[in-house]
Amino acid sequence: MKNLKLYLFFIFSSICFNLASEDFEYEVIAEELSSPWAIAMIDNNNILFTELSGQLRRIKDGVLVQESVSGVPEVLFAGQGGLSGIILDPNFKDNNRLFIAFSSPDEGKATNTLEVISAILDQNSLINVNTIFKASPSRRTAAHYGARMAFLDDGTLLITSGDGFNYREDAQNLDNHFGKVIRLNIDGSIPSDNPFINQEGALPEIYSFGHRNPQGIVVANGFIYENEHGPMGGDELNIVEAAKNYGWPAITYGKDYSGAMISPFTEKDGMEQPIKYWVPSIAPSGMTFYDKDLFSSWTGSILISALVPGDVRRLVMNNSEFIEEETLFSDLGRIRDIVTSPNGSLVLATDGPNGKLIRVKPKQ
Amino acid sequence: MLKKSLYLIISILLATVLVVLQTTLSNLMWLSSVDMPVTIGLTFNTFFGDLIGMNSGGAIPLVGLVALGMLLAYLVAKILLIWINAKKSYAYGLAGAAAILAIVLLMPLAFYNLDLIAGARTALGKTILILCGFLSGYYFGSKLEGKE
Repeated sequence: MKNLKLYLFFIFSSICFNLASEDFEYEVIAEELSSPWAIAMIDNNNILFTELSGQLRRIKDGVLVQESVSGVPEVLFAGQGGLSGIILDPNFKDNNRLFIAFSSPDEGKATNTLEVISAILDQNSLINVNTIFKASPSRRTAAHYGARMAFLDDGTLLITSGDGFNYREDAQNLDNHFGKVIRLNIDGSIPSDNPFINQEGALPEIYSFGHRNPQGIVVANGFIYENEHGPMGGDELNIVEAAKNYGWPAITYGKDYSGAMISPFTEKDGMEQPIKYWVPSIAPSGMTFYDKDLFSSWTGSILISALVPGDVRRLVMNNSEFIEEETLFSDLGRIRDIVTSPNGSLVLATDGPNGKLIRVKPKQ
Repeated sequence: MLKKSLYLIISILLATVLVVLQTTLSNLMWLSSVDMPVTIGLTFNTFFGDLIGMNSGGAIPLVGLVALGMLLAYLVAKILLIWINAKKSYAYGLAGAAAILAIVLLMPLAFYNLDLIAGARTALGKTILILCGFLSGYYFGSKLEGKE
């Protein structure tokens, strides 16, 4: 009788497991790409994506256009710098406007900074290119730019700005853009309800602070989900709120690459805790909120692409509460970005000089 | 020869400990400045944690890096002392300083200007670390002088 119960338990567990997992297959959309970094879906078969080395590329009707989009500004392609985040205007279908974040070399200097432009896509060219944001001050380093973007429901644009590696303490000061989430109107002007707009000594673009290197940001269900690289350990998923301090580097679950402690503290009043953190690091990169039903058991999950060891983490959430984690697509290597197609398939960008765009769809 | 080797090892360990101490203290001083509750006990714990972490838990073991730099610098100092008449304490002191200078200046060149030793991110930090190298070399040189 006891064995029968055990047997039935295993059968039941096996059925539950099969229901929870999804049968999928990969379709390579494009390959031999130069470090694809960020993807923007125009529709299911028309895609724009950036290559870190400085090209804006296009998939047209499912086929890679060999010629890259012209009119892209000069970028600093070094270290972690290059052509990085891209996002389409919510009204892209009407106005063809898009936004690109990149590391921009300062003229005649050995410094660079995070810059965001708006532009209109006209055939295979960018026109009406305008700088809407330049992080201040510039940095000597070529690392930790952030450079991801998301739109809030009110039409304002959030931009993640990393701590520049060498400038980590500045993430706690409001007089600079290191380690911040920035909020702007799409013309670069500052929303009148930004949290620090009336605070003396604070930069008015700042929405939240105390971040390290935010590599994913997505707005869903009324929440702003943001992931960021920790140092050795301490990668985080946060829910970002206006004026909140996310603690870096005063509190952290990670250690420095030298092996030294960055902070012996992991919490403090007035500093926000992540809703999930990873030790050791997974090096989170892109992020999407899966709100489609093509993979019905994933609906309502956050999907985070990761560079180490290279997979996608599906986080089951109950709004602001993390429930459980599943590892997906661990056979593709380092994954730099993930987006959801309008039809519910997923599109991934694999990292590196021989990167690929891969669609994940239900197995036929 | 045995004593010289011992002095050399102590000199390398001294430089390593001083670099770790500078990293720990500069870090904790900043934490204290933003009202984090840094105590004496926590300072000792963090220092010993860093001593172990920076020599076994990081990307490059600090003691190995310091040993490599100092051995090269001491070798150059020893050769130069054949022709130059100078006190060994100062000559090896300068060699120790040069070794740390090379570490804090050359490492960022290999890593997109990133200062992997957190204490070396400011000019003051770099200066203190170079002084740590000088003290370690000075110890080694003065011991050699004493032996003679």
